[in-house]
Amino acid sequence: MTGASRIRVADLLADPLLHGAVTLAGHGGLERPVTDVSRHTADTPAAAADGTGDGIAGHLLVCDDSQITPPHRLDALVRRARTAHAAGLLIAAGGGRPLLSAVRLADRLELPVLWLENAEPATLLCELGIRVRAHELTRARTVLALVRQLGAKTSGHDILASARRTLAAPLSLVTSDGTPLLGDPVPLPAGLRLDLPVPQQTEHLLVHPVQPLHEGDSPRAAAWLAVPLERADPDRAETLAVSLAVVEPFVRSWLTGRRAGADRDAVFRAGLLTEITAARDTVSRDTVENALSLGWRLQDWHTGIHLTTDDPRTREDLDSLLAPLRSELARHRVHIVRPVDSGDGWAAWISSPAEPRPEEARRLLRALRITLAALPHTHGPALDIAGIGRPRRGPAGLADTLAEARDAASLARSHAFRPAVEHADELGVARLLATLQRSEVTRAFAETALAPLRDPEHTHLLDTLRAFLESGGSAVAAAQTLGVHRNTIGARIRQIRERLGIDLDDPSRRLALQMACRALDPHT
Amino acid sequence: MNGTRRTSPHPTAAAPAGLNRLTPADLPALAAGATLLGSGGGGDVALPARLLRHTLAAAPVPVVPAAALPEDALVVHAGEAGAPDVLSERLPCAEDFARAVRAVETATGRTADAVGIIEIGGLNALAPALAAAELGLPVLDGDLMGRALPRIDQTTLALDGHPACPFALTSPAGDTVLVPTCTPRAVAPLLHADIAALGGAAALALHPVTAGTLRTSGIPGSLTACVRLGERYLAARDAPPAELAARLGARLLCAGRIDELRPRHGAETGSVTLHDHRDGAVVRVDLLDELLAVTVDGETLAATPDIIVAVDAAGHAPLRCDQLRTGRTVLILHLPALHRWPPEAAHLVGPRAYGLTLTPATGKTPAPAGAAPERSST
Repeated sequence: MTGASRIRVADLLADPLLHGAVTLAGHGGLERPVTDVSRHTADTPAAAADGTGDGIAGHLLVCDDSQITPPHRLDALVRRARTAHAAGLLIAAGGGRPLLSAVRLADRLELPVLWLENAEPATLLCELGIRVRAHELTRARTVLALVRQLGAKTSGHDILASARRTLAAPLSLVTSDGTPLLGDPVPLPAGLRLDLPVPQQTEHLLVHPVQPLHEGDSPRAAAWLAVPLERADPDRAETLAVSLAVVEPFVRSWLTGRRAGADRDAVFRAGLLTEITAARDTVSRDTVENALSLGWRLQDWHTGIHLTTDDPRTREDLDSLLAPLRSELARHRVHIVRPVDSGDGWAAWISSPAEPRPEEARRLLRALRITLAALPHTHGPALDIAGIGRPRRGPAGLADTLAEARDAASLARSHAFRPAVEHADELGVARLLATLQRSEVTRAFAETALAPLRDPEHTHLLDTLRAFLESGGSAVAAAQTLGVHRNTIGARIRQIRERLGIDLDDPSRRLALQMACRALDPHT
Repeated sequence: MNGTRRTSPHPTAAAPAGLNRLTPADLPALAAGATLLGSGGGGDVALPARLLRHTLAAAPVPVVPAAALPEDALVVHAGEAGAPDVLSERLPCAEDFARAVRAVETATGRTADAVGIIEIGGLNALAPALAAAELGLPVLDGDLMGRALPRIDQTTLALDGHPACPFALTSPAGDTVLVPTCTPRAVAPLLHADIAALGGAAALALHPVTAGTLRTSGIPGSLTACVRLGERYLAARDAPPAELAARLGARLLCAGRIDELRPRHGAETGSVTLHDHRDGAVVRVDLLDELLAVTVDGETLAATPDIIVAVDAAGHAPLRCDQLRTGRTVLILHLPALHRWPPEAAHLVGPRAYGLTLTPATGKTPAPAGAAPERSST
């Protein structure tokens, strides 16, 4: 029986054995060392009164209700315990109220008086005795109980809940920055070396690494088991440390299993999506069935979404963000499928039986912007680039809209701001042109540049120029459009060149003229 | 019934400084002494003191020690029994005591030669003088308790096995109960039942004994001691606490504020917790009808049957148990006992008689954080 004097009264007070105990008085003596626990009997003071060394010096005396009834007896008990150099009094009482004199006296003599209601003194005596004198036994019991309990647990939640109960300590599974995976958040003090996967202890915290899950993984801990300690003597801390080492393989096994399942699932979905995009409208029956098993309705209308980040190499770190992203979008009534890893990001889409109305696109854009901005980015690269495709129908449409979404994401990436979200429609030429055509500069240029063709007898020349430019400078196509011979077009083009004095072979001039034609055309 | 009453005792065998009569001049000292010896109980002396003032003004009451009486002289002990609350509101009458004594005389077949004092603490130190004046008898210089005690079996006579009967109770309405014989165990229950029937308080006469018995079993000279104590108190009342204690021959156990008052529950003792402002000691005073014990820092420094007195810190007026209040500053004094009870009386008048389990001072101090309590003993 070693190390007995390492325990202090306050340590026992923090122990689960004394859960619910209050320090009635004598707070000044809570740091007294406890060498043993004994029962207070009528003989106790007599034995202690003469003996100074032996007797009950250093003992925590356990008393029951009968020893402090009537209440005035507590005064003498406190006095005797102090005279005999006892460490403190633990009163396992049924109720009653101690006299102020006893409280004052214990304070004055700095003798801690612990008060535990509805406790069984005999059990307490036995358990505390083991706790103080034979801590190895407590440790062995705890480990045994843990192994028995955890063997049958399959989910991480169950494992932690069971360990918490057995250890009577707030156990959490946290990432390296203290974010809880299971349990309550645990602030990790700066002094910890979380880059080293070894058990560590500070004054108020005990952490144990969950070793890397796969052989090839980085040597950093996959996660940490953390127990905040209000206070713990070396024995209790040791028990907890050993217990964490016992719990760790169970947690690791659960994490590994979960990750393997997730990996399998991700590979399957990525493969299926590749098949769909490759086969387009000729998807096989198997593919359709597999897609259905994932809840993908291939024949519906799809709006593709491409999610990515500035540094695609860190994609794995962001996997954990996809679930919150999905649930957050659902709050905005946007229900996307589970994102599928597409190499440079994640592909996701929205399916609907009917063609989405045009305003849906705007709503989706807005929801995605808000959601990405709201995602936590406390560390590393953030999931903050997205592109949205236009609604398309069927498996081929899914492939198209995802391709559009990826292009839109590429454009979004070029923006200087984050989060950046682009919609394929929003980068449309139509919008650019409409803006350009409506501008006063364009109109003024059109009026000037095309003035030679604007008088009424030359309207056919203006029509010809427009048809020629709209068909990409092809005389044949322009002839077909206007219903004339291609030589006619050639002749008219020569006239136009003469009148305008412009080289139509120069692409810039051609573009400027096309813009000018459109600006003057009331139909565009 | 051998006719003549002894009206002029012979003080030949009295103690050297013993009183031989009670005069109005003795009254303030008698009342003060009786209050102190009441040890916080015994009832209010103010009312009997006023009655006695008129009686004594008419004629002093002779005081006679047991030693001065013939061996076979009959002494009947008289006093008031019942609830102090009733006593304080219902005037006692000298005639009631006389009736009770006469009833006992009838039962014994003899006439009393003196009226004895049951307890020298509280109003019963004065009541026998009223009875004696009414009966034309001397009052005995001595008592059976040496202070005030709550139970009728806590007497030196009961300890020595002398029966209390025949005893008689008389109410102010003249209703009289006479118990000619009864076993010692039945005395208290009979008294309680009869007192309840008589309205909560009654004049009591009991323990008709010979002077010879009192010489061996009584507490001699306590009336004189009571008056002398009262005189010393009245002279020293305005002195500082330490000097007051010294002049009373007392130990000053505590000078402090009452921080908690835990009232008694039936026969279960109550207590007050004081903070001694001199050295910060934690002082607990256990009480029932009287102040029973003083425990300082967990060690009992004084306990019944010793006399424990609480006096108000301002003015030094003695306080009864029912006058203690939270927040009041008081001095707790330990007065020398008038009577040294034998060890075998511990179960009768000691702390255990009240259900108290106390730890007497061992002299060892556990060296508290503050100063070790040192108390002067005089």
